[in-house]
Amino acid sequence: MRDVLYLAWRYLVYHRLKTAILVTSIMLIIYLPVGLNVVVEQSAEHLTARAEATPLLVGAKGSPLELALNSLYFSAEYPELIDYSEATTVADSGLADAIPLYVRFRSRSNPIVGTSFDYFSFRDSSFASGRPMAVLGECVVGAAVAESLGIQVGDTVTSSPETVFDLAGVYPLKMRVSGVLEKAFTPDDEAIFVDVKTAWIIEGLGHGHQDLARPEAVSGVLRRSEDNIVANASVVQYNEITEENAGSFHFHGDLAGYPLTAVIAVPKDEKSGVILRGRYTGDNATRQIVRPVTVIDELLDTLLTIQQFIVAAVIIVGLATIATAAMVFMLSYRLRRREIDTMLKIGGSRPRVASMLLAEVAIVMILSSVFATLITLLTWRFGPGVIESLVVA
Amino acid sequence: MIEIQDLQFSYGEGDFSLEVPELAVAHGETVAIVGPSGSGKTTLLNLIAGTAIPRSGQVTTNGNQVSGLHDAARRDFRIANIGLVFQEFELLEYLNVLDNIILPYRINRTLHLDKTVLERAAEIASRVGIGDKLHRYANHLSQGEKQRVAVVRALVVEPPLLLADEPTGNLDPVNKDRVLDILFEYADENAATLIAVTHDHDILHRFRRVIDFKGFYA
Repeated sequence: MRDVLYLAWRYLVYHRLKTAILVTSIMLIIYLPVGLNVVVEQSAEHLTARAEATPLLVGAKGSPLELALNSLYFSAEYPELIDYSEATTVADSGLADAIPLYVRFRSRSNPIVGTSFDYFSFRDSSFASGRPMAVLGECVVGAAVAESLGIQVGDTVTSSPETVFDLAGVYPLKMRVSGVLEKAFTPDDEAIFVDVKTAWIIEGLGHGHQDLARPEAVSGVLRRSEDNIVANASVVQYNEITEENAGSFHFHGDLAGYPLTAVIAVPKDEKSGVILRGRYTGDNATRQIVRPVTVIDELLDTLLTIQQFIVAAVIIVGLATIATAAMVFMLSYRLRRREIDTMLKIGGSRPRVASMLLAEVAIVMILSSVFATLITLLTWRFGPGVIESLVVA
Repeated sequence: MIEIQDLQFSYGEGDFSLEVPELAVAHGETVAIVGPSGSGKTTLLNLIAGTAIPRSGQVTTNGNQVSGLHDAARRDFRIANIGLVFQEFELLEYLNVLDNIILPYRINRTLHLDKTVLERAAEIASRVGIGDKLHRYANHLSQGEKQRVAVVRALVVEPPLLLADEPTGNLDPVNKDRVLDILFEYADENAATLIAVTHDHDILHRFRRVIDFKGFYA
């Protein structure tokens, strides 16, 4: 057997280009349906796990998928905004705990998630170092952010402007890192968490500036009356919240009207969840409440349908490829008729010569299978992350 | 000893037919077979080797009636008794020289490939001047070198009977002598029988007997 395999191997090595083409073709035919299945199954598992861990989401009426993707995976596209009062309404109902989410801004490519302390206990997050944000301007970074940016507690991260051409828009805010989360293998790893009020400051809804009552700020005063001072455009606004200037930061108007992208509602029990959902079912409601797992299941149904089409197409192409490969081998045997005759004449038995030819096919099939397995393993390791980022992006 | 009696052979429905009423070749004899193209010289070698089956008559080699053996027995007989040298060398392009030489050992399980065989292959290859080319691919060799590889492949199994089809047909005078020297030295040293088909009348003097297919002559 060893001699048969040796001869077959020598033939394949000598005709390495033909061998490589055959191996690649068969490898792809094996890999495509299997790899696709792995990607879809793992993505489904990954997406569903996060969705299952998030019972209900309250958001503006619109695309449930956009709401779920933004709230669960912090996708860049954010849904219509709702008022902060919605979080209060949910909490005051006594049916569920409310965790506000304002996922709109970014620091480089990392999402800045405006939320509350409760988010960490809800997600069962652990701190690798530091503590949750305690004052305005502090942030907690996910493990992947800390790793990729090389930052630790005490360092700072800066929010990115929404658009560089909007001079009246959002200014960057430098935020001090108060804690770093343990790796959770979820989108939290890639996120920067701030208090929702800090997110409003990033947006410019809250701000801090020099004290206009002080003599050195006189150049920044536009108009002064007995009970009011109006600043002009030259007043110095702070882009970092420090112990010295923290007192100057303030919000104008009623916070209840400030924006959120969603509220995570954690019902006290199943009945409370049902009642809460019932409150958002009216035709005129401008809000919606969604079960993320339902939304993600619908998304997965679409993915599975697409997968079935692709697998069907791959099977057809696979049959064509196998037929072509079989033809290549058969033509090859016809071309090798003389070589085969020589082997038979000098004492080769027909079964042994046939074994050699079959060994060539077997080696090609084994190599193809091994390579297909390897890239399937790579897909298993990295595929879901790639797909998830594509889907979320 | 090879004995042929009332041999008749034809290819299917074709026009060609071969008839050999009687032919005997003694053990250790060197015989050249000459004759016009298409007269059946190569076919006769195939019949003696058992790679072709006569329609009637007998081919007996060393007491074995080759034509009466079944396929596997004929193959075993051939492996044990016959070394074949082909006119077109019939080397496998994807094997190097050494692998081509020891090919019979790899394709027949009755032969055992071991260190002794490898040493013998290298030794014979050195004797015929290709000892330094054992690891070259066959198609990187000159015609003369290829023919020497084909001869070494036939000799490495140490057969008592050598059948050579136009062994010098593609060779220049120097290589022609070299290949013949190898064959005759082997036949002489091992008391082996050598039967060669040839068109080359310049080499006939080296054979003990010459058979013209249109009539035997000495």
